[in-house]
Amino acid sequence: MHRFIRLSILLMGLFAASSSYSADVQLAPLTTADDLGPAIEQPIEFPHNRHAGLRNPNDPTNSDPLKGGMEINCLYCHTYARRDSVAGIPPIQKCIGCHQNIESVRETPRIKKLFEYWEAKKAIPWKKVHDLPDFVRFNHERHIKRFVFQQNRPVQEVCGACHGDVKTMTVARRQKSLAMGWCISCHEKDHPVTASGNGSLINAEGMPSSMGSLAANGVSIGSQAYWYGFKKPAANAAGAEVAKGPNDCSSCHY
Amino acid sequence: MDNNFDRRDFLKVLGWGGAAVALSGCGNTSVEDGKETVVSYVEAADYVMPGISVYFNSTCAQCDAGCSITGRVREGRVLKLEGNPDSVINRGKMCGLGQAGVQHHYNPDRVREPLLRTGSSGETITWDKAYALIAEKLNGVSGDQIDFLTGTVSGHLKALLGNYLETLSSKNHYVYEAISPAVQRAANLKSYGMEMPRYSINKAKVVLSFGADFLGAWVSPVHFSQQYAEFRKGVDGQRGVLVQVESKMTLTGANADRWLVVRPGTEGILALGIINALGVAGLSLPANVSALVNAYDKERVSKDTGVSTENLVKLAAMLKERSPSLVLLGSAAEGYEHGSQNAAAINLLNQVLGNVGKTVEASASVPFPQIAPTIGNTAGARIVNNRLASGQTKVLFTYGVNPVFTTPAEMGFKDNMAKAGFKVAFAHYLDETALQADLVLPLDSALEDWGTQVAEYQPDGVQISVQQPLMEKLHPNTRGMGDILLALLKQRNPETYNAFDDYYAYLRTALLKNKPQFADSGADDDVFWNGLLGSGIINVSGNLNKLSDKMAVDINLPAPVEKDSKYPFNLIPSVSAHLRDGRHTNQPWLQESPDPLTTIVWDSWVEIHPKKAAELGIVEGDILQVESKSGSIKAQAYLFPGIHPDAVSIPLGRGHEAMGRYAKGYGVNPFHILNRVFDRETGELAMHETMVSISKVGKRVIVVKDEGAAGGHQDGRRIALSVTSDQVDLSEEV
Amino acid sequence: MSVTNLLENWAEFRHTHPVDDVPHDPYKWAMSIDMDTCTGCNACSVACYAENNLPVVGKDRYEHGQAMHWMRIERYWPEDGREFPDQGAQFLPMMCQQCEAAPCETVCPVGATNHTADGLNSQAYNRCIGSRYCSANCPFKVRYFNWYDYPTTENVWPAEMTMQLNPDITLRGKGVMEKCTFCVQRIRAGERSVKNEGRILRDGEVQTACQQVCPTNAITFGNLVDPDSRVHQQWKAQRVELTVDEQEKDKEEGGSDLRGYRILEELRPYPSVMYLERVRESAI
Repeated sequence: MHRFIRLSILLMGLFAASSSYSADVQLAPLTTADDLGPAIEQPIEFPHNRHAGLRNPNDPTNSDPLKGGMEINCLYCHTYARRDSVAGIPPIQKCIGCHQNIESVRETPRIKKLFEYWEAKKAIPWKKVHDLPDFVRFNHERHIKRFVFQQNRPVQEVCGACHGDVKTMTVARRQKSLAMGWCISCHEKDHPVTASGNGSLINAEGMPSSMGSLAANGVSIGSQAYWYGFKKPAANAAGAEVAKGPNDCSSCHY
Repeated sequence: MDNNFDRRDFLKVLGWGGAAVALSGCGNTSVEDGKETVVSYVEAADYVMPGISVYFNSTCAQCDAGCSITGRVREGRVLKLEGNPDSVINRGKMCGLGQAGVQHHYNPDRVREPLLRTGSSGETITWDKAYALIAEKLNGVSGDQIDFLTGTVSGHLKALLGNYLETLSSKNHYVYEAISPAVQRAANLKSYGMEMPRYSINKAKVVLSFGADFLGAWVSPVHFSQQYAEFRKGVDGQRGVLVQVESKMTLTGANADRWLVVRPGTEGILALGIINALGVAGLSLPANVSALVNAYDKERVSKDTGVSTENLVKLAAMLKERSPSLVLLGSAAEGYEHGSQNAAAINLLNQVLGNVGKTVEASASVPFPQIAPTIGNTAGARIVNNRLASGQTKVLFTYGVNPVFTTPAEMGFKDNMAKAGFKVAFAHYLDETALQADLVLPLDSALEDWGTQVAEYQPDGVQISVQQPLMEKLHPNTRGMGDILLALLKQRNPETYNAFDDYYAYLRTALLKNKPQFADSGADDDVFWNGLLGSGIINVSGNLNKLSDKMAVDINLPAPVEKDSKYPFNLIPSVSAHLRDGRHTNQPWLQESPDPLTTIVWDSWVEIHPKKAAELGIVEGDILQVESKSGSIKAQAYLFPGIHPDAVSIPLGRGHEAMGRYAKGYGVNPFHILNRVFDRETGELAMHETMVSISKVGKRVIVVKDEGAAGGHQDGRRIALSVTSDQVDLSEEV
Repeated sequence: MSVTNLLENWAEFRHTHPVDDVPHDPYKWAMSIDMDTCTGCNACSVACYAENNLPVVGKDRYEHGQAMHWMRIERYWPEDGREFPDQGAQFLPMMCQQCEAAPCETVCPVGATNHTADGLNSQAYNRCIGSRYCSANCPFKVRYFNWYDYPTTENVWPAEMTMQLNPDITLRGKGVMEKCTFCVQRIRAGERSVKNEGRILRDGEVQTACQQVCPTNAITFGNLVDPDSRVHQQWKAQRVELTVDEQEKDKEEGGSDLRGYRILEELRPYPSVMYLERVRESAI
């Protein structure tokens, strides 16, 4: 008997689902609003602001930790981000590399703790701050390569697009929602494509080919972005070709 | 700052972060901050990055073919085994058995601590205590009373084992493989002058195989599969033709152009019949050969073997016309009392066809005899069993063998083992033999241990395959076999062996000593060593053995046996590529990987020809009692067209009473009902000589199998298509 | 569009992507499988288990048809009434055919399975509600449903064995449909790395797990629209076209002497896998 009740509920649900599917509903606008995550307690309260924050122009020697940072490039510590899908936490080796020579803070509680871990050869159990669901495949490398290395944008702006203004935080805290709609809000945008014409690699017969040559100085459209709905990108008002970011399901879900 | 980076450091598991993420699966459906821990390294080499796989070359230990493998390691965990493209044996490829090596390593039922039997139960002891106990038990025992029963051993482990036996003044190292082409080795030595020549399937236009399952479990299947692919593409566009002669279809038989069913045991007669037919077809035969085969005219051979005269003539014509060919023989031809005679007759056919020197070529011998493989056979277990029975053996060591499972119950190995005062099993799992031991010493898995392996079958020169850890030990209290032997050697001969901290040090020293033979002698030790670990293999040319082509005509084949009314069926214990003799049955991928021919999983079955089954009123799933002179087992019936109507077949490998959750209690063990019959010349167990009766026990089950969505029937739909060679033009293919 | 109109124009309606000129630029992933060299050894199937985190379901669930082998080897006997199969058995590696006009896609009530620009039939696990319509509509029966929550089921992945799991792909939970993806994780990783170099993938840079392991090289995988790829050349030599339901060569009188064909092509799913017929010697 239960089975029948369950079945009818399922059928009703499906009906509801299909009717809402077919109705011509206006999709909710894509959200880009900030959504502050919970404050997270870390084994060592790492001061991002001190390391990555902007220098205090009135303090050229950078002596007051409360007033200015050192503008260290994000990629100096999170070095995996440009080579790897995960940004990774630097090995303690990296922290020690600098801190063994910085006597001024050697006896502060946080640095003492750091050296305790180092001497015990024990990894620090950092908590994950930006933790995507397990079915999402986010790739740091590609984003960094595209925006930092191919488009020459400032690192802090590029990392900050998803991670927020980390340079003003001590322990990092999630600032963006990182929900799918939030990702899509970027991936659905038209981005200018640098190649002219059909930027694919073309061989002598005019077919796309991996052995063909690339249009002059161009990056192939295909190699830069997918065309949503298989539509070839149209030129925008200024005449530049545009394409959307990769946005079919299997770009991130597999 | 201490920049010395220990290579082992990055083999360390980076923590369970990755696995935990994976495990939570779809449970984690939203952004979850602060719930999981990211564990980072304390130190890391430049090439180690979380999220990026590192690949290390090592050697597959799932069988003795010596395939070199590449392990995919990420965050310190080995994820997958792939083939090493530089290996001349497997050339980047792997079989299913080899890939399941990770499940040997991660198996939840591995032994983790040294175990000592006290009465009927066991207790965990320390290694120090275990070593002390061995020293104590060896005290006052003469070398002659100490037996080592191992599987095939090669490389530096073999050298160490030899040294240890020497310190014990024992010569009793018996090497046992339950499934071993030992009869043909002896026959090959007579015919070709070497036990294992190189076979070139890819150079042959016709391959005639007498039950050699070279695509399944025979000798070096991954290598032969690659040769087979070339053979099918053909020499000069002429596609190679495979003819398989056997009583029960093997995987190779299933791929044959012509599969000839033969009355069990008459393979040799057929071989002589083909020689006779070749003579009739005009091939000139030496006088003594001609005299030998004179009596084997096609009518008689057809009557004896069941192969039609038409097929016999056609086959001879093809062999004569398309040269070179290659004749192979496998366990189906060897496994009889007259197995050696069968093998000699089949080898003679190869010689008559002029294949020796063309497709049967000289193999290279390993230039370092101390690490050359010592090949197992069934005689090893037989001798030890006799010694145990007569009380000659006081202390028994077992390594890499499970004789309690793989010997006929009639031999009474289990009971005889009890007669030895002290039994030590070096084991990965508590298998049937380890359960009978007094002391069980837990071994590192092949992915945690150092070593070298030299395969018996060498396709090109000699490849020494290097085994290195792909990750840190999973369980802290397991030891590598090399380390254990070294510790035992230190007990006996500390002066020599205290110089080596561990087996790794021994191995490195031993290989560096031979550096001039492997590499430019000027090379720096570290450069040489790192290069070695990078490639995972050492290739040396070796000395070519001398191929002889002496036709032996002293072949004496018995007439086919008349049916015994009490036991009317030949029992064919079949060897599958994945389960072999059952040492890997506890790897779940292999349990769930369907048998290629029957598609049955997780269980044993009795193959019977549909015609015979109809006669006896047997349908699929009927539980049959299969009874031999020495015992009986019960298993489900499977109607199988590829078997001689007078034979039934049960696969080997299942039917464990121990060995953990994935092996215990699945299927039956046909080893136990084999009769104690041996090949007359070599003393090898004649595995195919057991006659059985079958009867229904009145129970029927659903056979758990996977015949595909179409249920094994195409019903006229175009699903799996086939054409004859005259209908296609292969020359234009890409 | 009336039902009649829809049925009459079904093929066109189904298969044509709204493309101006070249579909599948720059990739269309496809395969060809040579059944004359395939030996049925199951190495591909085990490789798939290792690569794609497939659960071992155990005997009871296997009996219920709940095996999760994305890549399975089907075995057929000749059906000509002979006493013995004297030309052997026929093995057929069967996995998702990544159809261009996939029957599974059109029936998914939530759009969890859909077509990608590079010609894959993708499955978004997080979107799947488990209606199983796709599986019912798949003519090849290559979709597998998670009847249980295998990650938490006893003895499927005991603690040690979780360490073997491939972190590059999702571990599927209960109620989710799954199938062969052409090792999409390898494709995506490859695509990303060549994007960084500003080029597209060359033949052989991405291998599927089954192809990589196959001891006889029976499986070829690659980019069908790349004229330099082996798979393109094979399809071309065999005169097999992607988006047709009957090949030109089969319309010719007397048939052709080419071996390439696609399974159940007449149903118009436009499969992306071409099989090469098994050959048997005629002289014996």
